[in-house]
Amino acid sequence: MPPILPDFSSTVRLKYVKLGYQTLVNHFFYLLLIPLLLAFTVEILRTGPQELLNLYLDLAVVLSSSFLITSVATVYFMSKPRTVYLVDYACYKPPVTCRVPFSTFMEHSRLILKDNPKSVEFQMRILERSGLGEETCLPPAIHYIPPKPTMESARGEAELVIFSAVDSLFERTGLKPRDIDILIVNCSLFSPTPSLSAMVVNKYKLRSNVKSFNLSGMGCSAGMISIDLARDLLQVHPNSNAVVVSTEIITPNYYQGKERAMLLPNCLFRMGGAAILLSNRRSHRSRAKYRLVHVVRTHKGGDDKAYRCVYEEEDREGKVGINLSKDLMAIAGEALKSNITTIGPLVLPASEQLLFLMTLIGRKIFNPKWKPYIPDFKQAFEHFCIHAGGRAVIDELQKNLQLSAEHVEASRMTLHRFGNTSSSSLWYELSYIEAKGRMRRGDRVWQIAFGSGFKCNSAVWKCNRTIKSPTDCPWADCIDRYPVHIPEVVKL
Amino acid sequence: MVSDSPVYNVKISSVGPGRATVGEVVQHYGGLDLAMKLHYLRGVYFLGKAAAEGMTTTHIKESMFLLCNDYYMTCGRFRRSVGSGRPYMKCNDCGARFLEAQCDLTLEEWLDGYFSGKAEWNVGQLVYHLPVGPELFFSPPVYLQVTKFKCGGMSLGMSWAHILGDIYTATDFINNWGSYLAGHKSNGPFHQQAQPILNRPLLPTSPNGQTPEPLSLKRVDPVGDHWVTANNFKMETFSFRLTATQAAQITARQTHNKSKKPSLFESITAAIWKSIAKIREGINEPKRVTIIRKTNSSQDPMTGNNRIAIGSVSTDFSVAGSDSGDLAEWLSDRIGELVDEKDMIDEAVERDDGASDYVVYGANLTFVDLAGADLYGLESNGQGPEFVCYEVQGVGDEGAVVVVPWPKSSDGEGNEGRVVTAILPEEEVEKLKLELRKIGVLEED
Repeated sequence: MPPILPDFSSTVRLKYVKLGYQTLVNHFFYLLLIPLLLAFTVEILRTGPQELLNLYLDLAVVLSSSFLITSVATVYFMSKPRTVYLVDYACYKPPVTCRVPFSTFMEHSRLILKDNPKSVEFQMRILERSGLGEETCLPPAIHYIPPKPTMESARGEAELVIFSAVDSLFERTGLKPRDIDILIVNCSLFSPTPSLSAMVVNKYKLRSNVKSFNLSGMGCSAGMISIDLARDLLQVHPNSNAVVVSTEIITPNYYQGKERAMLLPNCLFRMGGAAILLSNRRSHRSRAKYRLVHVVRTHKGGDDKAYRCVYEEEDREGKVGINLSKDLMAIAGEALKSNITTIGPLVLPASEQLLFLMTLIGRKIFNPKWKPYIPDFKQAFEHFCIHAGGRAVIDELQKNLQLSAEHVEASRMTLHRFGNTSSSSLWYELSYIEAKGRMRRGDRVWQIAFGSGFKCNSAVWKCNRTIKSPTDCPWADCIDRYPVHIPEVVKL
Repeated sequence: MVSDSPVYNVKISSVGPGRATVGEVVQHYGGLDLAMKLHYLRGVYFLGKAAAEGMTTTHIKESMFLLCNDYYMTCGRFRRSVGSGRPYMKCNDCGARFLEAQCDLTLEEWLDGYFSGKAEWNVGQLVYHLPVGPELFFSPPVYLQVTKFKCGGMSLGMSWAHILGDIYTATDFINNWGSYLAGHKSNGPFHQQAQPILNRPLLPTSPNGQTPEPLSLKRVDPVGDHWVTANNFKMETFSFRLTATQAAQITARQTHNKSKKPSLFESITAAIWKSIAKIREGINEPKRVTIIRKTNSSQDPMTGNNRIAIGSVSTDFSVAGSDSGDLAEWLSDRIGELVDEKDMIDEAVERDDGASDYVVYGANLTFVDLAGADLYGLESNGQGPEFVCYEVQGVGDEGAVVVVPWPKSSDGEGNEGRVVTAILPEEEVEKLKLELRKIGVLEED
């Protein structure tokens, strides 16, 4: 008994010390305010009522102080950035006819790559360890043996995904097409003329002065770039609605060759899309789901290795595919570190920042052997949406940020149910958290996306109102089955 | 006029269950199912213009995905048990192979060409078929082909591995598809299978050997994982139609005793058996025939070979020399008291735990009566099919004859037409045609 008790009490003691420290540092200014307020009250009481009245009747004093207060207030409100609200969003749910079970994917692979059994073996091993489930979807053109990717079928997929998502968004928000002021569409690998944003303008007959943008080639992190662009535009245009459509069109980009590094995306990328309504209108304040707090973008393209780690090129037979380099994870880790360095001071409570600063100073001055302090981001956020790029990405981030299994559950389950849907995966993850009924008013969400370039972009949202589990989200019919245990290796 | 094949622009994909089959679901097969593994049923349903209205690929696929939700046990792939090597199915939602094709002929033109008996017309153009194997992992047991014709009609061809089930389960599969097409049906809740699915009662291995050997079963050399019947001859198929009037005439010619009138199936069987006996004169004359027809059981399970009755009749007299009317009468008597050998086949196969390979169709000259199969039950846009025909692939050397009802040809007196398809060694086909013309079963060209 004696050896155990001291350890236990010391752990408890440590916990209370930590709590005390955090409360002290985080609420420092409030704690400072109390003695100040006390001093002020004492001073007023000492001054006496007659002198106060004299002060009050002195017109000059009154006018100048009110003028000062008004001008300070005006400057403050004018320079404050407009609040950007996320009114609602809709994720695309593919039809069951697009479903691709593991066995079907492998069988089609076997028939298409009949002269390359090693490549088929490779794909089987990737699929077994991928973390994908049996219900992910590929577009209709890719279901054929061999796949038939024509421009027409690519447009067909784009129309199917984008129009469904946008229709769903209109239904959920009651938005009318003529009320859209800003339209941003991002799709990395399919960029026809006229653009996909023109396609949306044409279908819904948007106003002729709509500000439309089409972002292509920016990879899986383009969703956050679109949000950032929308935010900037909403600073300039008062009282406006912005619709952001994030998707990735798989049809034209299905690799038809046999190079192994390029077959990897075939195993992971799946159909998906999301449409988001952002607004700076005061009228949306009460019913908006989230408020955008920060967007932080980090670009590591200056480093050659980072630039080439996700590279689209032709293989030896002239077939175009995306080459993923072997140090992708290391580069992702570096990009994340950069992003954290910027976002940390913006979101971390003062206690964590102080600790980090002290450890940094200590390492520089006293002893370089001190372990670098990894700030506890769990104190800054309630929910994490990590881009479901692959199992390795989620594992890496869970380790780096010291997150629990529940924190990364949304990401893992989205990877399982929908696969890697590129820029829209963050929205499926957010939808998962809402469907589980975990989103409460005041909760902070951190969305992290990685993409070619190499970029790490993140957005911080604050939940505006407690969200009841929606009945029309893509998780509605299967949320009860989740979370699912995903084995290390699935036996095919 | 007609190129190599009038059917072109073939696109291949797969259809499977829209719902994930959760858990490790497995389908086991009984002795009879395993005995049937070298056989495949091939059927074609011809839909006229009105019935095929609005049948886009998307609509067809959507309905098939819903259908496969119920039939997930036909959408898996075969595996072999560790140890015994006994085949079973892993229900992994892999799906059926689905083909889309086009044909530059009208329905009528194609059917006329097919029944003209010319070699270049065959059901294979409308029903893509590959046997199971050599890689069990990647072999679909079911193939579905949709062919669009110039006139706006379409055909649905299906190749169905007999191990999955008999003709009655195959026709139910197609008829249920019709219900999903029309939106009349919806899937029930998914029941997670706790036990593996069994088609036939599982017998203990190496039963006591008391039951007699079934006459309808023949063991063949091992085929390994490539489930193809090894034939000594090249087998050829030929079909002909009998209108209701013609059918009535045939029966009338063979009725000597009005009180013991043979059924149409029995009359046709007698006529063809005699003709074949004449062709294979002497020692090769088939003295035994296998009869496969619907069983009297009222159960209708979704899969399995439980709704057919398999039995054999043997003669000691010369069939070639006998009078066809007498033969028909004799056959009628024997069929009436035919012993169903399904259980005997089960036991025979189980003796070595399904390790051996067998044939049933073509073990003896086989006659299949498909009366009672709801072939015209498929409904599309409120209409039934114009025409349906079925045949069997993988028939043994003795050959088989499939007699399919043709309700579109009826004479108002309760007689229906028939479509007769014979699968025989190549060199016998022309001779059979001659014989049948002689006895007036087949019309002159």
